[in-house]
Amino acid sequence: MEEPRREDPDPKNPDPLELTCSRRKPIGLPEVLRVVWARVDPVKIGLFTASLFLFILAIALMKDGARGIAPIVRDGLSVTNAANCLGFGWLFAYSIMSGSPVAAAALTFFDAGVIDRLGAFTMITGSRLGASFIVLFLGFIYVLRGRDRATSLGMGLLSLTVTGTTYLLGLIIGTFILQTEALDWVQLRSGTLLNSITDLIFDPITGMISGTIPRWGTFLVGLGIIMLSFKLFDRCLPQMTIKESQVGQVSRLVYRPWVMFVLGAGITMISMSVSISLSILLPLSNRGFIRRENAIPYIMGANITTFIDTLLAAVLLDNPPAFTIVFVEMFSITVVSIVILVTAYHRYERMMLDFVEWVTDSNTNLAIFMAIIFLVPLILMFV
Amino acid sequence: MRILMSTRGWPYAEVVLRFGAQISYRAGEPPTVLVVINREEDRPRADSILARARELLKPAIPDVRTRIRIGHPAEEIIREAEEGHYDLLIVGERKQRNLVARILQGSTAAHVVEHAPCPVIIAKGETTGRIRRILLCESGAQRPSLLTRFTAQLTGLIEGEEDITVLHVMSQMSAWPGTRGKNLRANAEELIEEHTPEGELLEQDIHLLERPGIVPHPKVRHGLVVDEILAEAQSGDYDLVVIGAHRSEGWRRILLDDLAHQIMVQVNRPILVVR
Repeated sequence: MEEPRREDPDPKNPDPLELTCSRRKPIGLPEVLRVVWARVDPVKIGLFTASLFLFILAIALMKDGARGIAPIVRDGLSVTNAANCLGFGWLFAYSIMSGSPVAAAALTFFDAGVIDRLGAFTMITGSRLGASFIVLFLGFIYVLRGRDRATSLGMGLLSLTVTGTTYLLGLIIGTFILQTEALDWVQLRSGTLLNSITDLIFDPITGMISGTIPRWGTFLVGLGIIMLSFKLFDRCLPQMTIKESQVGQVSRLVYRPWVMFVLGAGITMISMSVSISLSILLPLSNRGFIRRENAIPYIMGANITTFIDTLLAAVLLDNPPAFTIVFVEMFSITVVSIVILVTAYHRYERMMLDFVEWVTDSNTNLAIFMAIIFLVPLILMFV
Repeated sequence: MRILMSTRGWPYAEVVLRFGAQISYRAGEPPTVLVVINREEDRPRADSILARARELLKPAIPDVRTRIRIGHPAEEIIREAEEGHYDLLIVGERKQRNLVARILQGSTAAHVVEHAPCPVIIAKGETTGRIRRILLCESGAQRPSLLTRFTAQLTGLIEGEEDITVLHVMSQMSAWPGTRGKNLRANAEELIEEHTPEGELLEQDIHLLERPGIVPHPKVRHGLVVDEILAEAQSGDYDLVVIGAHRSEGWRRILLDDLAHQIMVQVNRPILVVR
């Protein structure tokens, strides 16, 4: 059979691949820069700059307002120990349908002395547990619209179950590391130059806002701004073109678990959100499917790098122990995930899938599961 | 069809020879029995194994060819298969009890399957040697399809009285809540009726098997690929399980999970790995 012939490129609209790969035409730097520039989307750059600006402003406002909100958190909501913080972070993430702002809030509370470092650690864990409810919530909307229960809730339940099991095991390891101070040497400061620049730009704005509204209000404004910054960031994400790559057939082929683990971690490092990373899988299959075998390690990888923005928040707060807390969180989840992948992955995989099947099997099972994921954080608040 | 049977001695040899005898009888060509020994001093032991093999095969195949090679078992089996231009290789499975040896040496059968130039049958489990019920595990991930490769490479293996189940495992789940997942739980007939990619694959396989005497059954199972194939192999009382070999080319070899190896190790039935 004759091999299909490639058409000649349009001279007015040259194929960038041709420019970079052709052996016949040596290309100069200006030509390469022209092609790169043609691919740059100024709107997305603008959105990215705006989201970064708002993120830094939000952290500054939350840091400023955290002390003002301390009486509400400590006395009003009785968030005084690690268990309370876990439940609080969990429910807080449910209420705003996002985990990253809650994790950033945990760091600002820690910075202001509202909660101790174990409390900050458990609140960040809680924020991720709450955030993993988002995909399940979307599934419920589809069920209410009459879609099939198992199909609509499957991915949300799997994401929540994998996150729940790995984070709860990570909680034990992380608590041990924090109490033994084994990783306290891992610290990072933002540096004098960055501090001077951010102070110069953001101090007048935060000063103006905190001068007009009460301190607790500054925190809430900061929380609103950080949520807006994440929304803008999601819109400026580049279109992922992994469909044509070697790992773009997650709906057809079964990849090695570590391949999907690295893919999940890599994509989430850019998207910073597990739910966004999961939605990126959707265009990889025309039918919206993914192999069960590929889903679990992908979620495990995504659960680690989703803390990148929280690490950035710790650096912006210029609080080295806060950086350690986030690092311990990432480290403990990584340890748990790798131990599972290396030692008992197939057993774990079956357990997770069996559990998801059990939950979607009947309305009673689903009701029991829902009661547990709402009652547990509530109970933790009163421990 | 040129058949090479390799054995390292009793009790593992019996299942290989019984199975090989049946296939050789169908193929109408005398097989070659190979014994690989580690050193020259083991030659009397090899002679004794081959004598016993000839005796066992004599009623069905009087003119058995024999070969003795010295060296690493897996490497010598592969070398013999390459030099002799065999069409099918039949090996046994010797359970390595020592964990350290299992980790360091690996399984000879697995090594042979990975590097053999032709399809390989691992004769294991309790078998009478007859092949009446065949489970063909069609993934659809490779072109040409498993059945096309199977029929092209091993025409002599099918006599025309077999009951062949063509199994496809749908391990897919919905990637996002909004996905319409009607096909995710459909059976083979529904998938064929709906003309889904899985349905078309099964339909094409059933057409390929349309010959007098052969009874093909399309079947779909839902769950993890390895688990579902093992469950089907166990529950269906099959005489032979047919799977495709792990892709051995380029990046895919590193990126894709070796499901063939997992099935091969865990299944308790004779298994044919088609390249």
